[in-house]
Amino acid sequence: MNIFKWWWGILLAFLLLGVVRVILPLPFVIEVIIFSIYTMGCNFLLGRVGFISFGQPAYLAVGAYGTAFYLYYFGTNPYIGILLGLLAGVVVSVIVGPFFVRLRSDYFALVNLALAVIVYYLMEKILADITHGDNGLWFLTRMSSTPVLDLGKPSDFFIFAFLVAMALWAFYKYLDDSIYGACCLATKINEDKLKFLGYSNFNIRWLAFIIANTTTALAGALYAVYFGFVSPEITSPARCADPVVVTILGGVGTLYGPIVGAIAYTGMKDLISGFIVNWELFIGLLLVFIMLAGEKGIWGTLEPILGKTLFLKRILPSLQDRGDKSR
Amino acid sequence: MMDTQLLISGVIFGLSIGSIYFLLAIGLSLCFGLMRIISLDQLLYYSIGAFVSYTIYVATGNTWIGVFGGMAAAGIVSFGVERFVYLRIYERDIAFTMIASFGILIAGVGAIKYIWGLVPRPAPIPIETQATILGTEIPVYRLMVIGISFLVYVGIWLFLNRTITGKAIRAGIEDVEHVEGLGINVYKLFTITFIIAGTLSGLAGGLHAPLIMVDPHMGLHVLAFVFMVVIIGGLGSIKGTLASAFIVGQVTSLGSLIYAPLAQMAPFAIMLLILLIKPTGLYGSKLLKR
Repeated sequence: MNIFKWWWGILLAFLLLGVVRVILPLPFVIEVIIFSIYTMGCNFLLGRVGFISFGQPAYLAVGAYGTAFYLYYFGTNPYIGILLGLLAGVVVSVIVGPFFVRLRSDYFALVNLALAVIVYYLMEKILADITHGDNGLWFLTRMSSTPVLDLGKPSDFFIFAFLVAMALWAFYKYLDDSIYGACCLATKINEDKLKFLGYSNFNIRWLAFIIANTTTALAGALYAVYFGFVSPEITSPARCADPVVVTILGGVGTLYGPIVGAIAYTGMKDLISGFIVNWELFIGLLLVFIMLAGEKGIWGTLEPILGKTLFLKRILPSLQDRGDKSR
Repeated sequence: MMDTQLLISGVIFGLSIGSIYFLLAIGLSLCFGLMRIISLDQLLYYSIGAFVSYTIYVATGNTWIGVFGGMAAAGIVSFGVERFVYLRIYERDIAFTMIASFGILIAGVGAIKYIWGLVPRPAPIPIETQATILGTEIPVYRLMVIGISFLVYVGIWLFLNRTITGKAIRAGIEDVEHVEGLGINVYKLFTITFIIAGTLSGLAGGLHAPLIMVDPHMGLHVLAFVFMVVIIGGLGSIKGTLASAFIVGQVTSLGSLIYAPLAQMAPFAIMLLILLIKPTGLYGSKLLKR
């Protein structure tokens, strides 16, 4: 019964995005999909493990540069490039994880910010011979066309990114239902009790850190292939809070939150920047208002209303109410 | 290996940079210690201080009036923000106040862009004269910045140790609930602390403006460095903030003498190292844990 319910959710989402594909322009939809993958990692860290991270762009850059190095210097197959970007994300988060997850939540946020700045200067200045500094790496023409889904073509790329996003969504859904997901929530709410039950808080957090940042690296790899271009700009310190903002906007710890947040944020940015140059003012004020209004975000507020009106009795499990205080 | 003149000017440069970071970080540190908020919007008061003092300079031609004007403007804005935003969210989780403060910072940057435009502007140095120390020419202005921030440190120390309000603030850093139990209005303390923090950030902005260009993103540029100072010193500790501001200033300036790109990277490496050894920072107290 449970399985039937969550396939239902996936089908619904598929249908919705299919409709969206017809209505809205393609670049916007692709941007939303990649951004929601980017946000999923942050959402998992913030909503499940209670870690707030201002350094997600660092892992985004790791994934993007992993892909870009392969496509610029070695091979031509974009699929292998994406795989390598993913692998780079795994390696980096395995290495830095043990140092970072020992820290308190507020220190964790700031240390991640520091990592993002380090990666930025590393890519812009110190490794400038390899990364070409601010000019970035261009490899759009180097990518070979592949048989089934040609990633060079935006329409095929849309299908690929869409499939990836759905797979990830199902994966996070699976994690939520598993014992591991329960353990993650438990480290957020009461780590002493979990330790008492015989689990290692450190290992749980480390694994969560790896999962979340690999997701982020995957988003970076997708960005690299989609634009065919990578520059240090993607890890610029000014954009460090984007994923956190979108996570909170969509609703922390909800499954649909990242997608809703990404649509709202990208849409707003497009819309507002069309009229006025300084969209920061509006995004900032919006953020303050959301924080003043409550902590649930768009999806967290909509979910109970939707559940009532559509008579879907709790198909969409809401977990954000569990655990009032993060670490 | 390094020639003395270069070394002396490097040390002075590091001290002046460290002084600016110290003025900014002390506000953040006090806010965290007393109210348990991470107030990213201090960087906004820094930009406001810089822009207002620049504008007043252009109008009157006197930089010192400009610096005082910048301080006053930063204090007033911080008072308004505290009243309208923070009073409603003090009770919330630290992550949420952090995001709200980031929202204020971004909105403020947008407002500054709207008022003053995107173009960076050069602010003039008030004192052009050079002093000679051990045969090295040192700009007097940098020495004055160091002196002012030292005076601020002494002033803050006297305020926290010799006045009733300051003692209440220190007690609040240890345990807010007990202070409230003694019949002291803690929200008044919060407001006072926040205004002090905002004013000091404004002072930092006004003093820093002649050394760099005034541009809307200046707050975001120093953000990472200021946070590093606070983290290395330990959130909530004034002595630690002073020590780490000194370390970060020296590492930035001497690092750049050895190898230029190191200037931005080296402090972060130091921070990672210190946090690995002592996850609460140099002087971070155990009481503040969780």
